[in-house]
Amino acid sequence: MALIALILLPAIGGLVAFFVAGKGERERWVTIATFALMLVLLIAVVATGGDGRWYDKVSYPWVPSFGISLEFAIDGLSATMIALAAGLGIISVMASWSEIRTQSGLFHASLCWTVAATVGVFLSFDLLIFAFFWEAMLVPAFTLIAVWGHGDKEGAALKFLIFNAAAGFGLLAASFALAAMADHMTFSAFELAEMKLSTPVQVWMLLGFSLAFMVKLSVPPFHAWLPEAHTLAPTAGSILLAGLLLKTGAYGLFRFAPMLFPDGLAAVAPYGIALGAAGALYGGLVACGQNDAKRLVAYTSIAHMSIVLMGIAAGVHYALAGAAVEMIAHSFSASALFLLIGALYERTHTRDLRQLGGLQQTAPKFAAAFALFCSALLALPGTANFVGEALVIVGIFQVNWVFALLALSTLIVSVIYATRLLKGLVFGLPQPKPPLADMTWREYWPILVMGIGTLIVGLYPQSLLALLEPAIKAALIHTP
Amino acid sequence: MTAAQFAALSPLVVLAIAAVAAMMLVPLARLQIVQASAAVGLAVAAALVLLRIGAPAAPMGALFTDDGPARFGIVFACLVSLGALVFLRTGHPAKEAPSLLVLVAIGAATLVGAGHAATLFLGIEILSLSLIALFAFRLTRQGLEAAYKFLVMSGLASSALLLGIALIFAETGALDFAGWGGRGALTAFGTALLLAGLAFKFSLVPFHMWTPDAFEAAPASAATLAGVVSKSAVAIVILRLALTAHLPEPVWSQGLAALGGASVLIGNLLALRQPQLPRMLGYSTIAHSGYIALIIASGTPHAGEAVLFYLAIYAPAMLGALCVAAALGRAPTLPDLHGLMQRRPLEAVALSLSLLSLAGLPAAGGFIAKLFLLRVLIDGGLWVLVGIVVAGSSLGFFYYAKFFTAPFVGHTHDESQPLPQLDRGLLIVCIALIIIFGVAPAGLLNVVTATMAP
Repeated sequence: MALIALILLPAIGGLVAFFVAGKGERERWVTIATFALMLVLLIAVVATGGDGRWYDKVSYPWVPSFGISLEFAIDGLSATMIALAAGLGIISVMASWSEIRTQSGLFHASLCWTVAATVGVFLSFDLLIFAFFWEAMLVPAFTLIAVWGHGDKEGAALKFLIFNAAAGFGLLAASFALAAMADHMTFSAFELAEMKLSTPVQVWMLLGFSLAFMVKLSVPPFHAWLPEAHTLAPTAGSILLAGLLLKTGAYGLFRFAPMLFPDGLAAVAPYGIALGAAGALYGGLVACGQNDAKRLVAYTSIAHMSIVLMGIAAGVHYALAGAAVEMIAHSFSASALFLLIGALYERTHTRDLRQLGGLQQTAPKFAAAFALFCSALLALPGTANFVGEALVIVGIFQVNWVFALLALSTLIVSVIYATRLLKGLVFGLPQPKPPLADMTWREYWPILVMGIGTLIVGLYPQSLLALLEPAIKAALIHTP
Repeated sequence: MTAAQFAALSPLVVLAIAAVAAMMLVPLARLQIVQASAAVGLAVAAALVLLRIGAPAAPMGALFTDDGPARFGIVFACLVSLGALVFLRTGHPAKEAPSLLVLVAIGAATLVGAGHAATLFLGIEILSLSLIALFAFRLTRQGLEAAYKFLVMSGLASSALLLGIALIFAETGALDFAGWGGRGALTAFGTALLLAGLAFKFSLVPFHMWTPDAFEAAPASAATLAGVVSKSAVAIVILRLALTAHLPEPVWSQGLAALGGASVLIGNLLALRQPQLPRMLGYSTIAHSGYIALIIASGTPHAGEAVLFYLAIYAPAMLGALCVAAALGRAPTLPDLHGLMQRRPLEAVALSLSLLSLAGLPAAGGFIAKLFLLRVLIDGGLWVLVGIVVAGSSLGFFYYAKFFTAPFVGHTHDESQPLPQLDRGLLIVCIALIIIFGVAPAGLLNVVTATMAP
């Protein structure tokens, strides 16, 4: 029951926020309370300890004649992602406190529903229920971009929706084909994983699933929706897109590809690694050329998600652990940078690196925060991103040293774009003319929390790896 | 006539009495009373069918069938017509519209029970003639144009249908569906003509031209009757033909699949750049007819359930969207919808949810209907049709999403009247149905499975 409550809580919280909105800040507090309650509930579930693999696992019938059931399970990976969802939810509310002033009720409802649907994705093990939440998250996220975005927000939102919803058909079609091959009508991933399918069939099914995952992960050449959507979304939208929605793609690949199609994944793994390496280089190089700070960070997301893809495709223990850590590390660093850039934009009305600068003199707190997260962006040792990327590269060395060298070269590119961002914002002549108001507490505390998170995982990665270990073991396709 | 036979026919009798009563009351009573008499007739007819749930099918002879889909179709036609009656605002002093609306329901109820060429033709003609009158009811230029177009093309379609029936009869010597079959050239040609006649009513490409005009110019209620009531009745009769008649195979299934596939692609393509809500919905119904035609053409074991399921999910979405269109006055365009959320939250929510459902996104019912559609096609291994559905639906996201966003952005001023209580009630019912079908579809699925059980 607790798992269903984890999904229902934000869904209902969104409705409440929608209806209480009006004078005062009630809808904001309702939303924060909802996410805080989720965190409490999550800790209660994890505290039970579970059976070593799953903390909790439930199944209720939904449409029995179709073989669809509400099959939910939670392990360390799901729990981490859900904690991230709730945490980023709270941060999104704080980040949009002064930005969002119109139709605030609907905005907070959309935030809650986006989180509810992603939590559903992180918990579902029935493929159709997974697809249900997979598509459901698009609608509130689309609304966030289309209604409260900047510039050609409707175009960006439409692109986001159409790319992802169309790719979702790959997931749906492959799920139906998979169920049609089973001896009885079922969509349970646990039961479907028992089937012995030939490698070519597995490859085809995997391609169907991957279509949906790759578009959400925005690995080139499936990334065309991302730069606009990230750049034109409101700050909270960018935080949720980068911190959460991209991760659903990574999560889906991490969870279901090795579980359902181990032989198929092993067969296409070299292509996956190559695609990831190319994507990481491409995303990084394009990021180097951006003058819009938000767009720059958006392209770095492409690069980092490509590294996650490489890790999953490599399929060895180091690489998978690295991919999992990188998912979380990127959530912290990208969300924090989007929050900071959004806050800066509210004050200066520009995101152009050529018109900004000298934050170290005008707004030292901003400067310190940018310095920390730009270091995370270039994977400086001590940050969580370093752990993630280093582990991925070590893992790829075990599989193929050519790809590993390619992956290493992306680190050089990341130094270029990260220092460019840092130089453009923090150093140089103070632009625009001071005074510039420094961070308020609503901006300061989220940054502090994410910064401490980045450092803890960076300095003592075992804290996170211990939690993720069962899920990583389950995703192994090679045991070198 | 036995009691069972009378019970099976009683809904039609009640509807006929209601239509006559509504007509007779025109000179005597106010519009509200005329509408009330029509509403009572529709409700009683639906109740009479619902009371017979579980009763075995009455032996009716060749002309009329009393099976599950027929009962489902009558209840469906009555309830949707009842919904359409709520927002039947013709903007015209004449009071005949409710009577015409009941006539459409009679046509639909006759058609869904058709197991014989005579009933099929009778049902289709009752439907078409009353729809023509309703399209033209406002006596505006566009209304007359839509009605005239429909009249001419409907006449053509009816003659094609009749000729088709005659050709099949010439070779098989049968007029009841069960007797149709064989591989002769006449039957094949007759089947093609029959299909063309039905495709016109079902607004399948290339017989779809009347639909957007009718949606734009006719009162929104009339559009509902044409787009939901009449269309569903035709869908059910095509389903019965597929299940009982043994029409020559390459012509029937592949013809239906070709018409359906073309409707999915072209309907969605033409909808892309429509700035007007009713016109967009008109093209959208063409695409949805296409999806339903594909389900029937697949010929897979669950096709029957899938068709009824699709209709039940499609109806509240279309009803809700058209009711909102009616509430906003004539043919609202995209800018007219701006700021709707602040001016009229209920309408904005109802419209958005309806569009979400038509687009086939969760948590609206349309997603489940799309799942069932994909399942049926994949069960049959029809990957080409799956590709067409995927392409069509992906196009669909574009225009549905444009209209979905409009109520939440910008501001516009409007002076239209606040919505009457009945309309509000109807919208709330539609919202509830869309969400219930989307989140807990098992109940509806049990209903359609029981309906299709022999």
